[in-house]
Amino acid sequence: MPVEVILPKVDMDMETGTIETWHVREGDQVRQGDTIFEIGTNKAVMEVEAPATGAIRNIRAETGIAIAVGTPVAWIYLDGEAATDAPAPAVEAAPTATRLPSDIAVPEAAPVSAFATMPGLRATPLARRIARQNAIDLAAVAGTGPRGRIGEVDVRRHLERRPRGAQAQETPPASPMVAPSCEGRLQPFSAIRRIVASRLSQSMSTAPHFYLTSEIEMSAARDLLGRLAVRHERIGAPKPSLTVLIARVAARVLRDHPVINASAEGEATRFHDRVDIGIAMERDGDLVVPVLRDAGSMDMPAMAREFARLRDGMARRTLTPAELGGGTFTISNLGMYGVDSFTAIINPPQGAILAVGRTVDKPVGRGGQIVLRPIANLTLSSDHRIVDGVAAARFMADLREALESPEVLL
Amino acid sequence: MPSDTLEAPADIRELSYAEAVREALGQAMEADERVFLFGEDVGVYGGAFGVSGDLVHRFGTERVIDTPISELGIAGAAVGAAITGMRPVLEIQFSDFVTLAMEQLVNQAAKIRFMFGGKASVPMVVRLPGGSGTGAAAQHSQSLEAWFAHVPGLKVLQPSTPHDAKGMLLAAIDDPNPVLIFEHKLLYKTKGHVPADAYRVPIGKAAIRREGTDLTIVGSSIMARKAEAAAERLAADGISAEVIDLRSIRPIDFSTIAESVRKTHRLMVVYEGVKTMGIGAEISAMIAESEVFDFLDAPIIRLGGADAPIPYNPVLEKAAVPQEDDIVAAATNLVRRGEA
Repeated sequence: MPVEVILPKVDMDMETGTIETWHVREGDQVRQGDTIFEIGTNKAVMEVEAPATGAIRNIRAETGIAIAVGTPVAWIYLDGEAATDAPAPAVEAAPTATRLPSDIAVPEAAPVSAFATMPGLRATPLARRIARQNAIDLAAVAGTGPRGRIGEVDVRRHLERRPRGAQAQETPPASPMVAPSCEGRLQPFSAIRRIVASRLSQSMSTAPHFYLTSEIEMSAARDLLGRLAVRHERIGAPKPSLTVLIARVAARVLRDHPVINASAEGEATRFHDRVDIGIAMERDGDLVVPVLRDAGSMDMPAMAREFARLRDGMARRTLTPAELGGGTFTISNLGMYGVDSFTAIINPPQGAILAVGRTVDKPVGRGGQIVLRPIANLTLSSDHRIVDGVAAARFMADLREALESPEVLL
Repeated sequence: MPSDTLEAPADIRELSYAEAVREALGQAMEADERVFLFGEDVGVYGGAFGVSGDLVHRFGTERVIDTPISELGIAGAAVGAAITGMRPVLEIQFSDFVTLAMEQLVNQAAKIRFMFGGKASVPMVVRLPGGSGTGAAAQHSQSLEAWFAHVPGLKVLQPSTPHDAKGMLLAAIDDPNPVLIFEHKLLYKTKGHVPADAYRVPIGKAAIRREGTDLTIVGSSIMARKAEAAAERLAADGISAEVIDLRSIRPIDFSTIAESVRKTHRLMVVYEGVKTMGIGAEISAMIAESEVFDFLDAPIIRLGGADAPIPYNPVLEKAAVPQEDDIVAAATNLVRRGEA
């Protein structure tokens, strides 16, 4: 039998610990007594020794997240023992982890975000009730009860610590218990609306947003869309929309701007290897965000097909949770509703979201003349914890250049 | 508001629990000639625990009847007497012996009213001295109240004070249905204020013995007393416990418990009967199923009797049922650490 390596209790009242550093990697040989990882408590960093001699396998705990004491984090296979595949999924973070859920409007399935999903979260019914009433995401609440359980006191403490402004934004949704009046019709949140409300409230209260708007001339983009429509018809691909073109261009530009294609994770920035672009869509009054997976590697026909597939799948409710979450960047286009420009709330834990307004002919100066050109307002909301103004401005400059001469890029 | 406080009235009239029961019996017999007592040694001997005392001298051997040692026979006679218009009050010498009377109580007394469409009823009262703590070992120390609380048609009471012992017995004698009263043997000598008049304590209404904010402790019979004593010690330690004395196991006053848990967010149920499948399970489940679930801030705790026959060894006997120290320790753990 392989020997379990557990997260040990190294401090009297310790309920959770954080692995600061792994000193070994998957498959490394260790001797009993070797230091295999360092564990951080709120007081000190302690070294943890290998409980046996053999090969380290199935490391299933990341660094930097709070893990409940006693959780197996890896196994040591003794000589002659065949290493099987990891018998268990990644360790779930104890609820003290401050990581945000990573996608909107769906129960999560992706292993990355599984750290913060509800099944692993311990909270008392009362704590859940108060969190519901105050639109608090319990994943952001530190639990001080047994095994990290979140109790009333933890949620109340969390509420008190919230900035005043955030409290105003996160005014409890009218529930039957606290309804201030009997006017009108009271409709409880749908499951999706509850998640949207909680995630976006959290985004606004934890991610300091700033906004950069660019007026971008869309002549070339419009022209290209016309020609692509003809080409796509010939090859049997769906007609590309402006949203698809912007997603295509943004995906390419994001490859040069890793800091924008990034997520906040506690006190760290996660730079994503792949560009997965979520497109905000509406379904029966609910906000859902299907994701163009690996958008950076798609050409226009492929992206148009994938976009059409997602849109149809969304309407027919056949998309899987994986297709509805886990993007690295989001685009929200309200131009078709005649909106000139707007600012969007970041889809946590992503670092930025692009809000696209309508394209409208406007008088602009060109070569000393006032001429009419199709202009669109694009506004980037960025999380200032991980994106600075200049980095966002550089991205917007490249995005403008790419949209104004898309053929150069594509 | 405490629904039935133990506040001392201006003129304290103190009786023991056993005296209070005897007073109720005497008053009921004076008021209603249909009321009569029978059981093993309830006459000349005055009852195994001295409860009936001198009643045989006051009311004669026609109304205070010593019976043979046959619980099934006594119970059957009580059912028959009740159906035909009498108001029998039966004593089962040790509640453990009620196993012998099960057929009459469960299959006859409990069901007759239903099976005859209300044309017959069984207005009988069974008094059952029970509980451990007297060194009487496994066959004379049980707490079997939950068995009967499982039977539709029976009412099951567990008064914890002399006041309630009298008032609930009088209410039980009035009741048109079979009522079982489990009297804890260790309570017989406890004293308390008992008014002289023939008052009634309603069946099915719990009493809040102490108000608190941090947790609710529900108990009945001697466990209500232990919970009160524990609450006193907890208060000294800064923990505010609300103590609910159930008084009646069936019907159970769920709303009083629910109201309290809604306020305190924590619940502990203490009972001397075997913990498994007991009263605590029922109360826990009622709370978990109810809207009060959303107000729980910690797991519900049951402190119950050990899954074992009551031992003869006095140390083990004590360890087999929840004691005041156990209540204090569990309550402290629950409030301070949220642990069950």
